Amino acid sequence: MSASAISQAEYEQQESANRLGLWLFFASEAFMFAGLLVARFYLWGDTRPHLDQAVALIITAVLLLSSYSMNRAEVMIAHDDRKGFLNSLLITAALGVVFLIGVIGFEWQGHIRPTDGAFGAVLYGMTGMHALHVVSGIVFIFIVWNNGRKGHYSADRHWGVHACAVWWHYIDLVWVFFYPALYLIGTAQ
Amino acid sequence: MEKKKSSALRQSFNVFLGLAVLTAVEYGVSFIEFPTVALFIIGLFKAGLILNYFMHVGLLWSDGGKHK
Repeated sequence: MSASAISQAEYEQQESANRLGLWLFFASEAFMFAGLLVARFYLWGDTRPHLDQAVALIITAVLLLSSYSMNRAEVMIAHDDRKGFLNSLLITAALGVVFLIGVIGFEWQGHIRPTDGAFGAVLYGMTGMHALHVVSGIVFIFIVWNNGRKGHYSADRHWGVHACAVWWHYIDLVWVFFYPALYLIGTAQ
Repeated sequence: MEKKKSSALRQSFNVFLGLAVLTAVEYGVSFIEFPTVALFIIGLFKAGLILNYFMHVGLLWSDGGKHK
């Protein structure tokens, strides 16, 4: 049954169930990210490798900015502003690409290699797993953008947009804990 | 409608600004001795802002759970 064929009450009930499923998925993902954080504190202890602080600050700011533009996209569709919604989605995807360039093109080109013991394993494990999630977020954004371009979603019915936005913010939420763990805590060796 | 939209956009920008300021504070705090606890607390504040304002976690237990 298509979304337009059901009543608003049924749609909202379905949205409620979808939301619970999405958050249960977040909980399962949290175990994996928490495992990576535990590995960092177990293997690095009160030390950390010398990493480029400027790159870290810039990519963190870029990810925060992308969360803002994603929230903007959601506000726009909730107020039937399709043009603003589509533009904000594209800005978010572009900022996601900039974040990936920062991680892969700059951070990964530094002096630490994945084979450099605990430093390399943890650094590439954490940033790699997070970058993979950013890639999935960008793909999700393009799917939602394409649907939006075709006229899907409205102020009352935009679960797809909300799910995409919450997923993107979740990726930002993970980085909130990864950034200090990788770049700020411990003495640089 | 337009007023509600600009109010929502302003709130979104304020949250972004709060997150940016807390990130700058984090960077500053990292220069003090043993910053781990302080950084963890700041991280929790940032997570709270994202969960509440961007991820709308409250909708999970609100009646009907309609997003606006």
